[in-house]
Amino acid sequence: MARPTSPAVNADSLFDALIATAVDGIMVIDERANVLIYNAACERLFGYAAEEVIGRNVKMLMPEPYRAQHDGYVGHYLETREKHIIGIGREVSGRRKDGTTFPMNLSVGEGMVGGKRIFVGIITDLTERAARDKRIQDLQTEMWHVSRLTDMGQVAAGLAHELNQPLTAILNYSNAGREIAQEDEQKDLETIFAKVAEQTARAGNIIRRLRSFIEKREPNRIEEDLVRTVEEAIRLGMPDAADRNIRLELQAKAGLPNALIDRIQIQQVVINLMKNAAEAMENSSKREIVLGVAQASDEFLQVSVADSGPGLDKDVADKLFQAFMTTKKSGMGMGLNICRGIVEAHGGRLWAEANPGGGAVFRFNVPIAKSEP
Amino acid sequence: MSKTVLIVDDDADVRDSLSVLLMRSEYAVKTFASAKALLDAGDPGADCCVLADVRMPEMDGLALQRELTARWPRLPVVIMTGHGDVPMAVKAMRAGAIDFLEKPFEKPALMEALKRAFALAGAPPAEAPAQKISPRQVLTEREYEVFQLLVAGDPNKIVAYKLNISVRTAEAHRANLMAKLNARNLADLVRMSFADENS
Ligand SMILES: Nc1ncnc2c1ncn2[C@@H]1O[C@H](COP(=O)(O)OP(=O)(O)OP(=O)(O)O)[C@@H](O)[C@H]1O
Ligand SMILES: [Mg+2]
Repeated sequence: MARPTSPAVNADSLFDALIATAVDGIMVIDERANVLIYNAACERLFGYAAEEVIGRNVKMLMPEPYRAQHDGYVGHYLETREKHIIGIGREVSGRRKDGTTFPMNLSVGEGMVGGKRIFVGIITDLTERAARDKRIQDLQTEMWHVSRLTDMGQVAAGLAHELNQPLTAILNYSNAGREIAQEDEQKDLETIFAKVAEQTARAGNIIRRLRSFIEKREPNRIEEDLVRTVEEAIRLGMPDAADRNIRLELQAKAGLPNALIDRIQIQQVVINLMKNAAEAMENSSKREIVLGVAQASDEFLQVSVADSGPGLDKDVADKLFQAFMTTKKSGMGMGLNICRGIVEAHGGRLWAEANPGGGAVFRFNVPIAKSEP
Repeated sequence: MSKTVLIVDDDADVRDSLSVLLMRSEYAVKTFASAKALLDAGDPGADCCVLADVRMPEMDGLALQRELTARWPRLPVVIMTGHGDVPMAVKAMRAGAIDFLEKPFEKPALMEALKRAFALAGAPPAEAPAQKISPRQVLTEREYEVFQLLVAGDPNKIVAYKLNISVRTAEAHRANLMAKLNARNLADLVRMSFADENS
């Protein structure tokens, strides 16, 4: 077998440097599982210094129950040559000096040096990946939880607003009727109109109460990085974009100020808009969603969601945001109504435009967080 | 010439019901289905007052208010809001609206807002009647904090949240300061905040 080093370099010092500078943990053990090599990356990972580990059994770096079973594994392998981990690599846990454990990927190779069998382990720390996975999972749970709450609240808020318009009209008509009846001295009619007005006011109060009941969820508007918020929404809402043949792009300006938002609510808005975009492009050959985050003014940041679908239907365009307005078989028609409610509660606006390149663009503004003076 | 109320609302039934309500009043009525329709009709001249919904597609009431202030600064504007649109109404008042009404409203509230608006019609802008009471002077520190959040459009719940007090306490502060300032509604408070800023 050819040597993997150039004859021009000193193989020994190169070997030492390689081991010392490797980002991954490198460990070599002998047949009895005693540690021969333990590099700097291992020191960082496990918290033990090399001299605390070298010469001792590698199982000290494993949490129970593996620690107790490890001797058995090695013995079993040496007898049967049945490979469980050797040559494969696997996700296992490591045990740090302070007793905590962490997820790591371990791949083990086997070799002979000077007639003695050695095992080489390469260790990659998975802590960060695990933390990221966990954060996504947490976000998903939280989102699911909150979205049920806010969906209900927002549906009711949207309905409250729409019911308010006809109620206003009824109250006006009945007040007008009452006055006319009064002037014409039609006592009975006057009484009846007064009762209609009274009942309308009562309905108005129910709506008012409904709204304040909905607003019970404490708004959690804090300073957030809007770009990061949108990135997370993309990851949560469109993890399967590639499978659906959708090209997703996020165009964000660097150095934008923070927004003052309820992150989860705004993510719900972004997810809803992406969902609509994806649904609109179901029969399109070009499927592209371009999200943008930019500064709109001194007061507002703007998020845009542009798609390459058929664009907004003329008949639909001016009713988009109405409750129960849908053109889809299984749609509820509440998506945009809810989104608008959320954005307006933030003091911003949500609207739709035609995408110059074809398709639709939805844009919304959210306030920039002004640090308190 | 009779005083004319220019009603702007995207909801046809709301427009019609307001016309009917004002039918036997001293006011004549013209209706517009959008902000653009009103602007396109040109300068309405003297003795007119705009009664506009805050929430409309394309150009909303707030944008309309700003445009009107720029074009015809002597034209008084009263804004109508649904629940939860109060922050927008407050902004409209800051942009020069005379008053706002929360839908649905009773006729006396409407008539009073219109009366006040017509009293100011034709008057040079930014000459709101001088306030005798200065909120900053008569309110406690806490009440003044609540006052400032209210006139920025925050509902009680948000006020409570921002000041880290209970909603009930916020409501109590609100009631107290309204009484101290002799204010009947939020629009009154907003007006007083302008006077306070200018003093
Ligand atoms: N990106 C888009 N391109 C074209 N039309 C759209 C787009 N987004 C929304 N629409 C139209 O607006 C309508 C309303 O959308 P909305 O999200 O409120 O409800 P929905 O998607 O039909 O149902 P759901 O309640 O499940 O979201 C849709 O049915 C569709 O006709
Ligand atoms: Mg939808």
